Amino acid sequence: MNGATGLGELVRLAARRSRWFYLAWVLALTLVVPATAAAYEQIIDPANADLLITTMTGIMGVLGIVRSTRAQEEDGRIELLRSGAVARHVPLVAGLVVGLAACAALGVLVAVAMIVVGAPAAGSVAFGGGLALVGATFLGIGAVAAQLTASARTANALGLWTLAAAYTLRAVADGSGEGATARLAWASPVQWMALARPYADERWWVLALPAAATLLLVVGAVALEAGRDHGAGLWAARRGRATAPERLRDASGLAWRLHRGQVVGWSIGMLLFALAMGSLSTSFGEMLEEVPQLRIIFERMGGGAERLVEAFFVAMLSIVSVVMAVLAVSLFGRLREQEERGHAELVLSTALSRRRLLGSHLAIAALVPVLLLAVVGAVLALNQSRSVGDWSIVAETAGAALALAPGGLVALGIAVLVHGWAPRLGWVAWVVVGWSLFMAWVGTALDLPEWLTRLTPWAALPQLPVEGMDWTAVLVTLAVAVLLVAAGAVGYRRRDITGL
Amino acid sequence: MDAIELVEVTKRFGATTALDQLTMSVAHGEVHGFLGPNGSGKSTTIRLLLGLLRADSGTVRMLGGDPWGEAPTLHRRLAYVPGDVALWPGLTGGEVIDLLGRLRGGIDTTRRAQLLERFDLDPTKKGTTYSKGNRQKVALVAALASDVELLLLDEPTSGLDPLMEAQFRAVISGERDRGRTVLLSSHILSEVEHLCDRVSIIRAGQIVESGTLAELRHLTRTSVVAELAAPVPEALASAPGVHDAQIEGHRLTCQVDDTELGPVMSRLSALGIRAITSTPPTLEELFLRHYDESA
Repeated sequence: MNGATGLGELVRLAARRSRWFYLAWVLALTLVVPATAAAYEQIIDPANADLLITTMTGIMGVLGIVRSTRAQEEDGRIELLRSGAVARHVPLVAGLVVGLAACAALGVLVAVAMIVVGAPAAGSVAFGGGLALVGATFLGIGAVAAQLTASARTANALGLWTLAAAYTLRAVADGSGEGATARLAWASPVQWMALARPYADERWWVLALPAAATLLLVVGAVALEAGRDHGAGLWAARRGRATAPERLRDASGLAWRLHRGQVVGWSIGMLLFALAMGSLSTSFGEMLEEVPQLRIIFERMGGGAERLVEAFFVAMLSIVSVVMAVLAVSLFGRLREQEERGHAELVLSTALSRRRLLGSHLAIAALVPVLLLAVVGAVLALNQSRSVGDWSIVAETAGAALALAPGGLVALGIAVLVHGWAPRLGWVAWVVVGWSLFMAWVGTALDLPEWLTRLTPWAALPQLPVEGMDWTAVLVTLAVAVLLVAAGAVGYRRRDITGL
Repeated sequence: MDAIELVEVTKRFGATTALDQLTMSVAHGEVHGFLGPNGSGKSTTIRLLLGLLRADSGTVRMLGGDPWGEAPTLHRRLAYVPGDVALWPGLTGGEVIDLLGRLRGGIDTTRRAQLLERFDLDPTKKGTTYSKGNRQKVALVAALASDVELLLLDEPTSGLDPLMEAQFRAVISGERDRGRTVLLSSHILSEVEHLCDRVSIIRAGQIVESGTLAELRHLTRTSVVAELAAPVPEALASAPGVHDAQIEGHRLTCQVDDTELGPVMSRLSALGIRAITSTPPTLEELFLRHYDESA
């Protein structure tokens, strides 16, 4: 038995288990890249527009490797494989092989797509290659995280926090212009692709950075794996309290406990985003005055605002409100997970009613994103208010954000309806928010017909302050959301809880 | 009124019929063993009783109510231990015990402490770090520390070591003495023999036997090995109630229907018995007979 025994079989198994995951990510990213690039083509060089893309690729890398290594180990599947003729590091290496193949496919597809939309070939290769290598780096980061902790959730969190740190590093470096702080960008993996300057006199050697980092991380992960027991992490599992705190006494106490981490993580992330975007807003006007095409795009995204700052706020809020719908659907998805894992069976065998169980997750999934949306609106406007000296802008922007909230609640309502009647169709709500996100992000910039870009739950809602407040539209959208939730709740009380 | 009553209950999942006109009952205050091969419908029956599943037809009554329509109210009076206990990764065993107890409407902290000690369970570990047996202990402690009338236990000891199994038996005996009703699904026959007043055997979604152990034994055969004073006559092999007879001179080995045991014994003593051993049927033989038929 040598070090590669069983590699072929396990690579096939990993590919089979992860094919839809990677396929969805790679296709989505491949579609978004040229669309964004075409939209911004003449104005911004594509590398700058694509921090989003590198970040998404990083997320794919972390989630991809953790789901095919630590998550499998935690569920006890790798134990069975290891009892067969499989060398020690083969499960990890098989996951890496499949993940690297997905990154490579992404790189090739993006490069080809860019060339097809008319970008220079050399730049497109640097762009696709850079993207693939950044993905590979985060695959490596995820692989190391998967060795440190025994829980897949913690491993995911570790990887994603590293990604967030890299993102923040790049934001700090960007904001500081020139000098020593600007050089910090070199320490941020999400920036490496842009530092290779695709389409602008490519610096090919920069791509050696992510390649070397990937190699180091993979070697590191294998070395760490050699030093731990199966099923264990390098960090010992912590002990907890012997009795439950007073708060953990009913369905809402349990739901909050289960959602807490995700809620805190998202809140910090969204606040940072709002602060960063808010600080941009004041300098934004001057920047846009110089670039007429970008001004046109933002006016379009901003619902035709006269003042560019308003257009900027409207554009940001229309995206953030859809991102909050993503959060809402994801939070509500916890209920499905509770059923799949058998936790729901346990709590429903107590005096807890289905209505309360549903309500406990629904309340968090509805309230947290709406609150967060209002806070993001307020924080976004802080800088502008300070520079103008008019604090009423803060309340107005928060109000504008809230006027968009019913759209996200409709998306949540669809998730509840589907879960109540046909839990197998859980992906439907994700299609709705995915489509809405795509339309909010690039639909307007691409100048797609308005009936198409407005084919979302947000269609009727007013874009304040560019448009006037339309109470009818807001209340009708809200009523639709309430009806969807109510219909879903009826179904949930009637169907079998089978553990799916 | 019985604690549990199922009358001609049918439950289908798509094309498969999990329960097929199942009828069974559990009286108040009895420990009822629920036996059957894997996939025969034990867990489906228990989930129907918990109101997690809805019967396609038939009547389900539990503690005088309708488990589907009145689930939360009825659940105050029962506790359930699933066969495969899924604990939350972020919660400790102690937190889960308290949470489940509070959700049921209260927990007896003295009893909780006694049970933790009795089952030798560390409540400070996080959910995923417990072994299968320890996860079951968490659910057992949570169930037993609540003051309820009915315990629904779905293979509760499948992950316990023999020492803990003995503790479990002692605790359940205590529960019976306190007048609680227990429905115990199990594969461990000695456990059922020790604990259960009555037994129901389920196969392919139907109850095939139900009664006290003594009653069920009557349906089976006793194996008899006899050493006689005279050579065994060949005719004995074909006597009513005698099966699988083997005759070697003075020695007879055979199976005898319990109903024919008397007449067969008379014939043997007429021939003069030098030595005889008769072994009553074990539950295991009873079982194998029913399990085999399902194959």
